[in-house]
Amino acid sequence: MQDISDILEDLNRSHDPYGADNYNDGRPSGEADLQALTRAWINERGTVELLPWPKDGLIERVTDCVKTQIEKVEELTGNMEPKTNFSLIIIQTEVERWKFLIRSFLRARIEKIDKHTLHYLSTPELQARLSEMEVAYATRHQQLLHQHYLSSFLGSFPQNLQNLNDTAGGISMISGPDEESGVIARGLGSKDFPGEGVIVQGSGRDADSQVEVVRGEVVVARWSDVKEFVEKGEMELV
Amino acid sequence: MALPLPPGLTPAEVAFLCEMEMVTVVPRQQLKSHDLLGGPTPALRPPHRAPLPLWLALLLKRQRRANIVPPPWLLRSSLERILKEETEISPTAFSRPPPHPHAISAIPSATDHKSPPFLASSTADAPSGHLPYHWLELGEILLQACSDDVSEPDKVRTLLRDLREVRMAKMRSITKHLEGGGVVSLEGVGAMEVAEGRQFVVGVMDGLRKLGASREAERRRREEEGGSGDGNSEDDDMEMEME
Repeated sequence: MQDISDILEDLNRSHDPYGADNYNDGRPSGEADLQALTRAWINERGTVELLPWPKDGLIERVTDCVKTQIEKVEELTGNMEPKTNFSLIIIQTEVERWKFLIRSFLRARIEKIDKHTLHYLSTPELQARLSEMEVAYATRHQQLLHQHYLSSFLGSFPQNLQNLNDTAGGISMISGPDEESGVIARGLGSKDFPGEGVIVQGSGRDADSQVEVVRGEVVVARWSDVKEFVEKGEMELV
Repeated sequence: MALPLPPGLTPAEVAFLCEMEMVTVVPRQQLKSHDLLGGPTPALRPPHRAPLPLWLALLLKRQRRANIVPPPWLLRSSLERILKEETEISPTAFSRPPPHPHAISAIPSATDHKSPPFLASSTADAPSGHLPYHWLELGEILLQACSDDVSEPDKVRTLLRDLREVRMAKMRSITKHLEGGGVVSLEGVGAMEVAEGRQFVVGVMDGLRKLGASREAERRRREEEGGSGDGNSEDDDMEMEME
C-alpha cells in the first residue's frame, strides 16, 4: 500500500473531478469527503459503464476514517455509562451510514467488472479506471473463467477457435457496456466559465442538438453525450 | 458480492440520501458536540435552534430529545401556492425548483458545485413556495415521524398527494419529447420521481434509439459525406407516432 500512496499523491495534484475542493489543513474535511463519496456512489449507481476509480485516495481515506471511528466506539463501550450510551448510538448510526455508502459503491463496481471483465482489461486506458485491487480481482476472475471454459468445452475445440477475444470478421468478441444508454443527469455548472452551464451535444435520431444545461437542471440524455462532463465534475448523475 | 441492482437508485436508497438533508431542530435537552466522520455536530442547548442532518434529527425526535422545525415550503399556504403553479400557471412543466443557495461570484468557491442533498433547502430559513429536490421523501418522513411538529398535518398530507399526482402525469408525458433523442430537460423534478420514472423513461429512450439506430447511422454517414448536411431535411413519412 505504501508505494501506491505516492502515485495517489501525484494524481492528487492534477485536477480531481470527484474529489473535495475545500481543503483547510491539507486534507479534505469530513464534510467534503462525505459529499465526494456520496457523489461517487450515485454516479457509479447511475450508469452501466465503470467510472474511473476516485483519485485523491478518497476511498482509502474514508475507509481509514471508518476504521478509526469503530476503534473509538470500542473504546467507549469499555467505560460504559448511561451518558455515553446515547453518544455511542449516534456515532454508530453514522458509521453504519458511511459503511453502507462505501459497500454499495464497491459492489456496484464489482458488478460492472464481473459483467465485462475482458473489456476493462483490454486496454491500458480502461484498466486505469480500476483500482489496484480491482485489477487483481478482474485478472483472477478472468483467469478462473478461462480455465473453467477450457476444461469444460473450449479444450475440445480446434486451436484457432479457442480464443475469448477474437476480432475476426470485424466483430469483437469482447462486449462492453452500452455507452449510448439513457441516463438522468444534473448540471453542476461549468468549471471553466463560472456562472455558466455546460453545452451538451445531444445526439438524436434525426438531428443533433446543442443544449445548455444550467446548474441544478436535471436532464435525460445519452451516457455518451454527458460522460465527459460527469468525469470532469460539471455534471452528476441522479 | 456484486450488486444485483439495475442502474439508478432504488426508492429506499433515495430515502437514505434524503436523510442527509439538513433540517432545523429545537432541542429539548442538552447534548454535547459529537465528532462525527462528516464533521462535528453543533452542541445543543435548549431553546436554541440548530441545523442537523435529518437522520440525526429523527434519532433525537424518536427519543423526545428534540423537535423538528418543518421547512417553510412544507406549510399549507406554500404548498397551495405550488399546487396552483403546477396546475394553472405551468400545466406542462414542473414548478420552478428553489434557487441555488450559493450564488456564483467571481472567485470560484467549493460551494459553487454543491448539489442536493447538501444544499440546506429544507432548514427553517429555506425559501418557501418551491419544492426542493427531495420534497416528496422529506415531506413523507416528517409527516410520519413528527406530525405533531407540522401544522395542519392532514391538509399537508392531502396537498402532497395532490402534487404527487399532478407531477406524475407530467413525468409520463415527457416521453413525447424523447422520440427524437437529444437532451430532454426535466427541470424541477424530484428525486423520488426520478427513481420511479427512470425505468420507464430510460426504457422508452433506449427502445426508440435502437429502433431508430439505422436511420441515425445513415444520417451520420450522409452528413459526413456531404459536409454539413441538414438532418431535418429528411422525409417525415417514416415518423412514428407516440400517442
